Amino acid sequence: MQDLTVGYTAMTSMSKWARKNGMILHLHRAGHGTYTRQKSHGVSFRVISKWVRLLGVDHVHAGTVVGKLEGDPSMIAGYYDTLRQGFTETNLARGIYFDQDWASMPGVMPVASGGIHAGQAHELLHYLGEDVVLQFGGGTIGHPMGIEAGATANRVAVELMIQARNEGKDYLREGPDLLRKAAKWCAPLRAALDVWGDISFNYESTDTPDVLPTATPAQ
Amino acid sequence: MYITQGTFSYLPPLTDDQIKAQVKYCLDNGWAVSVEYTDDPHPRNFLWDMWGLPMFDMRDPAAILLEINRCREANPQKYVRVNAYDATLGRQTTALQYIVQRPDNEPGFRLERQEGHDRQIRYTLHPYSLDRPAGERYPK
Repeated sequence: MQDLTVGYTAMTSMSKWARKNGMILHLHRAGHGTYTRQKSHGVSFRVISKWVRLLGVDHVHAGTVVGKLEGDPSMIAGYYDTLRQGFTETNLARGIYFDQDWASMPGVMPVASGGIHAGQAHELLHYLGEDVVLQFGGGTIGHPMGIEAGATANRVAVELMIQARNEGKDYLREGPDLLRKAAKWCAPLRAALDVWGDISFNYESTDTPDVLPTATPAQ
Repeated sequence: MYITQGTFSYLPPLTDDQIKAQVKYCLDNGWAVSVEYTDDPHPRNFLWDMWGLPMFDMRDPAAILLEINRCREANPQKYVRVNAYDATLGRQTTALQYIVQRPDNEPGFRLERQEGHDRQIRYTLHPYSLDRPAGERYPK
């Protein structure tokens, strides 16, 4: 694991070392807030995403939308696109200002973490998709029935949403209901929902877009 | 020990309709669906025995369910799973994989501790399901 604080040259060296030694390289973006959320001088996290993809990081924390670590949905989507896609199309709302062809450059796996729990599975899938590492830390270890039960609750919740989505259901709307139904047969999930079900972090994000789409009449 | 590999292994066993719905999702995404079976659920045994070739040209979920059921009938006491392979450039990996049958008895694993040179210790997992009298693992 590395942090942004080691500096980009060191990060490049570490990525080469990791390749050579068969290691997966995780980037924990501690320190990014000092410049990625500063509008007057600083570097957007989209740019950081691009750099870390180019220098060969394997996964990076890229925002969660719903957790305790803030994030504007469209900005996060822009980071995810930059990390994952083979061709990033111009999308002003997401902060992508020009087309970028990544050729065969491998992607980076985004990591979502920070205050996420089983009760948010539907929102996580909706905002972040399935090509993402969901790190339920406190949402696993803080489970009243123990860590294994915590892991079970999270797996059940995520699999329920994947199943519902694949079956063509409106999982974002039906999500809470699906979770409640599953909690009837899954005691760990029931306990998780009892503890965390009502917790959400609703504050304004400072990862704000520079461009907002305005509705225009159809031509 | 209830094996939890692949997607949906933490949910109750899928019904035929649910299996078909997932197969349909795979086909709609253009993924190649295949069926595999094994008696060795070791987590590192990721290449199970193939039930025929991946069904590259099959576009009908019902026909794939038929193959799944044929595999289940032929291997009633083995694990059977469905794989969907995404051949898209940049992905080229298994996109969805789920177990659709498991044996009645899942005995689990034991931890093997091997003492090596210089007091070095190596650990490995051994599935109890492989401990059968000589010759009984393979069809006669």
